[in-house]
Amino acid sequence: MPEELDPVIHAPARLRVVASLAALGRGDEVAFPKLRKLLDMTAGNLSTHLRKLEDAGYVRVTKTHEGRMPATYLALTDTGRTAFADYQAALMDLLKGAQG
Amino acid sequence: MANDPTSGRPAEPGDSADLDPAETLRMIRQQQEAARDATEPDGRVLFGAWGLAWLIGYLALWSTARDTGTPAAWAGWVLAGCIVGATGLTVAHSVTRTSGTRGASARVGAMYGWTWFLAFTAYGVMLGAMGDAGASSEVQAIAANGFACVIVGLLYLAGGMLFEEVRMYAIGGWMLVTAALAAFAGMPNTYFVMAVAGGGGFLVMVAVEQVIRARRRSPGTAERTEGRGA
Repeated sequence: MPEELDPVIHAPARLRVVASLAALGRGDEVAFPKLRKLLDMTAGNLSTHLRKLEDAGYVRVTKTHEGRMPATYLALTDTGRTAFADYQAALMDLLKGAQG
Repeated sequence: MANDPTSGRPAEPGDSADLDPAETLRMIRQQQEAARDATEPDGRVLFGAWGLAWLIGYLALWSTARDTGTPAAWAGWVLAGCIVGATGLTVAHSVTRTSGTRGASARVGAMYGWTWFLAFTAYGVMLGAMGDAGASSEVQAIAANGFACVIVGLLYLAGGMLFEEVRMYAIGGWMLVTAALAAFAGMPNTYFVMAVAGGGGFLVMVAVEQVIRARRRSPGTAERTEGRGA
C-alpha cells in the first residue's frame, strides 16, 4: 500500500513542510526562521528535509541578503504542488478503499 | 502544533509513519491551518475591530445628535479615536502576520494597504473643500457617511477580487447598500444606520468567519485541503 505514496513527501516531517508551503499562495515565499518556528523543528533538521525536497525538485530555495544579513526563502515549486495534490488524492483513495 | 507527536523526533530519511490515511489527512489540514494563521491576517480580528469602531463611534454621534440635531464634539473624538485604534490594529496585525513572507501576495497586500490610505486622504481633502464651499452641516454629514461607505464598499469589492475572497466581496456590496441607506436616512438617523448596518455588517462577518473555521476543522470535510492555487 505505501508504495503508491510519494516517499519524498511521505516522511511525516517533510509532509508537514510541504503542507505548510502549499498553504502559501502560488508565487509566495516564506523565510527560513518563520517556517522553522511554524514547524517547531530544529534548524539542522529542517535544513536536512529541505535539501531532500529541493533535490526532488519540490522546493525552491532562494538565498539572498536583507541589508547585510543573509536570508533564505522557501517556496513550493509547481512540481511540488502537483506532487502534494497527488499525495492527498492517493490518501483519499486509500480512505475510500478502507471504508468501502 | 506543539502537541504533534511527529514534530519532536529526529525524522530519518526513510522515516514513515504507520499509515492511517484519515489521521494523515487530519494532520495535513491542521498544519495548513497553522500555516495560514502564521502568514495571513485573521478576518475575525480585522472585521471585529472595524465593527466595534463603527458601532461605538457612530452610536456616540447618533445619541448626542438626537436632541440637538448635531453631534457633540466629544462624540466626534470618540469616533476619531475608534477609527485610529482600528487602523492601528489592522496595520499591526497584518504586518505581524505577513512578516517573513514575500512574493506576489506581499506586493499586492502592500499596494492594497496604501490604497486605503490614499483613498481616505482624498476623502478628507474633499470634505474639507465642501466645508469651505459652504456646505451645510447636514450635507457634510451625509457626504462624510456616504463617501466613507462608498470607499469602504469599493475597496472591499476590490479586495474580494484581488484575494479571491467571496466574503470580502459580499461585505463590499453590503457597504454600498449601507451608503444609500445612510444617505437617505437623514439627520441624525444617518449615524444610526452607520452604526447598525455598517458596524453590524462587519460584526456579522466575524460570526461567518467563525462558522467557516469551525466547519473547516470538523471531520468529514477532508475533500480539498491542499490550500489555494493548488
